Amino acid sequence: MSVTPTTLANNVQIRHWSLARSFSIRSLTLGLTLAVVSYLVLVPLLMLLYASVKSTEDKLPFESTVTTLGNYAAVFTSPSTLPIFLNTLLFAAGSLAVGLPLAILLAWLLERTAIPGRAWIANLILVPMTIPSLLSAISWIQLLDPRIGLINVALRGLFGIDVEAGPLDIYSLSGMCFVQGLRLVPSAYLMIAASFRAMDPSLEEQSAMAGQNIAQTTLRVTLPIMRPALLAALIYFIIVVVESFDIPGLLGFTARIRVLSTAIYWATHSEVGLPDYGLASALGTIILGAALLLMWLYQRLTAHQERFATITGKGYRPRQVRLGAWTAPAAVFCLLYVLIAVLLPFLMLLWTSVQPFYAPPSAESLARASFEGYANIWRDGSIVRALWNTILLALVTSVATIVLAVLVSWFVVRRRSQGSGIANYLATVSFLPQCVPSIVIGLALIFVYVRFPIPIYGTLWIIALAMTTRYLAYSSRATTAALMQVHGELEEASQMSGAPWTRTLRRITMPLLAPAMINVFFWVAVHAMQELSMALMLYNPNTVVVSTMIWSMWQNGRTADAAVLGVILIFLSALLLLGGQAVSYLRRGSDAQMPGQ
Amino acid sequence: MISVRALEKSFAGARGEVRALRGVSFEVGKGQLFTLLGPSGCGKTTTLRCIAGLEQPSAGEILINERAVFNAAAGTFVPPERRRIGMVFQSYAIWPHMTVAGNVEYPLAGEASRKERSIKVDEILQRLGLGELADRLAPNLSGGQQQRVALARALVAQPEILLLDEPLSNLDAKLREQMRFELKSLQESFGITTVYVTHDQEEALALSDRVGLMHEGALLEVGAPAELYLHPAHKITADFLGMANFIPAHVQRGGNQPGDEMLLESPIGSFVARRSVEWQPGPAALLFFRPENVEILDGNGPAGCETNHGAGVVERVTFLGNSADVILRSGATAVRVRAHPARIPAVGKTVSFSVAPSACIVFPV
Repeated sequence: MSVTPTTLANNVQIRHWSLARSFSIRSLTLGLTLAVVSYLVLVPLLMLLYASVKSTEDKLPFESTVTTLGNYAAVFTSPSTLPIFLNTLLFAAGSLAVGLPLAILLAWLLERTAIPGRAWIANLILVPMTIPSLLSAISWIQLLDPRIGLINVALRGLFGIDVEAGPLDIYSLSGMCFVQGLRLVPSAYLMIAASFRAMDPSLEEQSAMAGQNIAQTTLRVTLPIMRPALLAALIYFIIVVVESFDIPGLLGFTARIRVLSTAIYWATHSEVGLPDYGLASALGTIILGAALLLMWLYQRLTAHQERFATITGKGYRPRQVRLGAWTAPAAVFCLLYVLIAVLLPFLMLLWTSVQPFYAPPSAESLARASFEGYANIWRDGSIVRALWNTILLALVTSVATIVLAVLVSWFVVRRRSQGSGIANYLATVSFLPQCVPSIVIGLALIFVYVRFPIPIYGTLWIIALAMTTRYLAYSSRATTAALMQVHGELEEASQMSGAPWTRTLRRITMPLLAPAMINVFFWVAVHAMQELSMALMLYNPNTVVVSTMIWSMWQNGRTADAAVLGVILIFLSALLLLGGQAVSYLRRGSDAQMPGQ
Repeated sequence: MISVRALEKSFAGARGEVRALRGVSFEVGKGQLFTLLGPSGCGKTTTLRCIAGLEQPSAGEILINERAVFNAAAGTFVPPERRRIGMVFQSYAIWPHMTVAGNVEYPLAGEASRKERSIKVDEILQRLGLGELADRLAPNLSGGQQQRVALARALVAQPEILLLDEPLSNLDAKLREQMRFELKSLQESFGITTVYVTHDQEEALALSDRVGLMHEGALLEVGAPAELYLHPAHKITADFLGMANFIPAHVQRGGNQPGDEMLLESPIGSFVARRSVEWQPGPAALLFFRPENVEILDGNGPAGCETNHGAGVVERVTFLGNSADVILRSGATAVRVRAHPARIPAVGKTVSFSVAPSACIVFPV
């Protein structure tokens, strides 16, 4: 081929032009995404590790020049920290012992038996998901406080026990396990019901054909087949319990029982003396290591689940077991569960919110009931600010998270074909926060920003940053799964139509991802609104949010105010969730002609 | 006009580097339809995506109407959206959240006024017989309609070239045949230079001005459909296009040039055949002829002719409607014959047959 000077010049020109424009926006975005995700996730973790090996008796980690393993030595030898590990273990085991059997039983009853009122019960079971754990703890205290708890008062009256306190005590390890265990039921139910649904019914039918009865089939076929799924759920909920803060924070405070997550909080918010950041970061590193290990186990278990071939493409429902004489007891059990675990705590919270001071329901206290609490609360400037801060925080966090999640998943899904290094890195790092307990993220961000040139310490932004980091894991997973359903040729067709990358994203990718984006947006908004531990680590009087406000009201004995604010928070959450449903519904309505693909 | 020169493309595979394209070169003349034909995994779609700019080759050069859109040596890479190429994807990739008109208007964005755009959209929709469907949401279309929408979208912005990636493979057999002719007449009436990718040899033969046969990342052979079918230069081409008999034979008399006559001794008799391009001198060879070139004779063989005939027992007959597939056995050798449906020999009968020397080709073993 002969190269004439003109074509050469032409080539050079095109080259400059293409380098200058067409790919630069995409590469720039990729670079920016990589930088932001790495910064959000890795910097705090490195700071945490750094702080854990710095001697910090009365100093901040940065000021210290001594590198030491003393913090770890102290954790493992001090008589004040050793019980923490035992408590954490017992708390995890006890909560799972309460929550998982309940969830399995409910899932089996609702998925596999012809129990009456299935749809109603299934929906009611999920209601507690809209109630923050903090408020579950508060309402259970109202019910089970040894002295004034409604159930205790009733029991004493019923059996004529003439004592001041008891018989039940919520301020104990078993009380903590009970409340935390009930908290696990909705999400554990969802997970287990899904694997019941995914199971190939012919495996059970085969057993029935071999002359086995229901009990034998359930024990010898159904449960062994579901073992990997149940084991995965078990590990997943160990992580959830170990990192949970609200319930052990509230109940364990009175009971003086500390677990890893609350020990970190109290190490940095000591009632007496200075915060011990060295101890906190050593505890944080340990809890992080445990969570990473468990998550690795969980991933391994779920990665090999196909081996058990529980999922088939066949669209028929598994055979339903007829309960016969057991129908009534099963229905009563479900009803009791809904009554005790779902309705009672919520009604108790409502009751507390309309009482000027706490009193068990009676004719006398009913006469005192008023909605004055709801009217008065608006006069308190700090509460109004907390509400405003909460809404702002939920909005900023969900917008930031969704933008980041969509970009991450675009590069993960669409770049995997060409050189998977960057894609794998992004996928891994963005998922990492899933195993970083919220309290640890809060702690690490203190270290990052207290002396850092970016002046966000003590602002709402630092809380938003912590939550964006934490929720990035779930959000990017969700958008990645959705994007994988969008055929790559749909975007390529836009490119071939002359659309630059940004227009393809705006007009093709985003509209097709919209359903997933709406779900993620509302999921993050509700979680950000209810989150306590990160906010508690990072807030100050100017950046108080509703959850931290309720926490401090509770600590100061302002029970009625806490209940009022709690009901408002639940109301706001429900409003958001309904809003999400409405948006999805309206969108589906407008695309009614569009068959699902 | 398209020029593809010495195109190379390597992927990082699980076991080291995979060479997906090995020095692919071809030219497509203005207004021509060029087909890349081959089995799946041969590199034909990769070549097409390199022309589109959706893949970046490792080496080589691509010119569209004399403009270099890719040149590895000079570092030129024009991104797909600036190449002015219309493309129809295998899945059609009709955007499900837009109407037919919305899909077709998309490539015109930022190019003309709203009024001009809608005139252009109407025009192309009318031309493709989609006028009625303009406001229909894309997923509510039949396969054939979707294919037309994809074509309308690819052509509306008057691209310099058109790329078609297995556009008929998602249609049922009858529709496929109908769309084949429609596609050809559309391409001719637009006069647009087109590259067509398919694994279907019938499609390739029926549609193309020229066909390029791809094999393991290399462009094996390029030619007009008839030329490729009747005078394949390579054994792989002969095997891939249509049906083939390959019979091991010994060379009695060689030829010097491709096309020269050679004399072969085979288990079914002596045959005069033409030397293929691929032939390398040696004692062993493969005798190739197509089943439809085998003539079943009434008597015991043509009088006065010493070569190019044999005899065999009818082993199996498969009736296909417009013809019959007959297997003749002669010792260890089976010969496949395409017989006229009115002249099907009975199973078990011994028949003689002949193959014209011009229909026999010699390939290396």
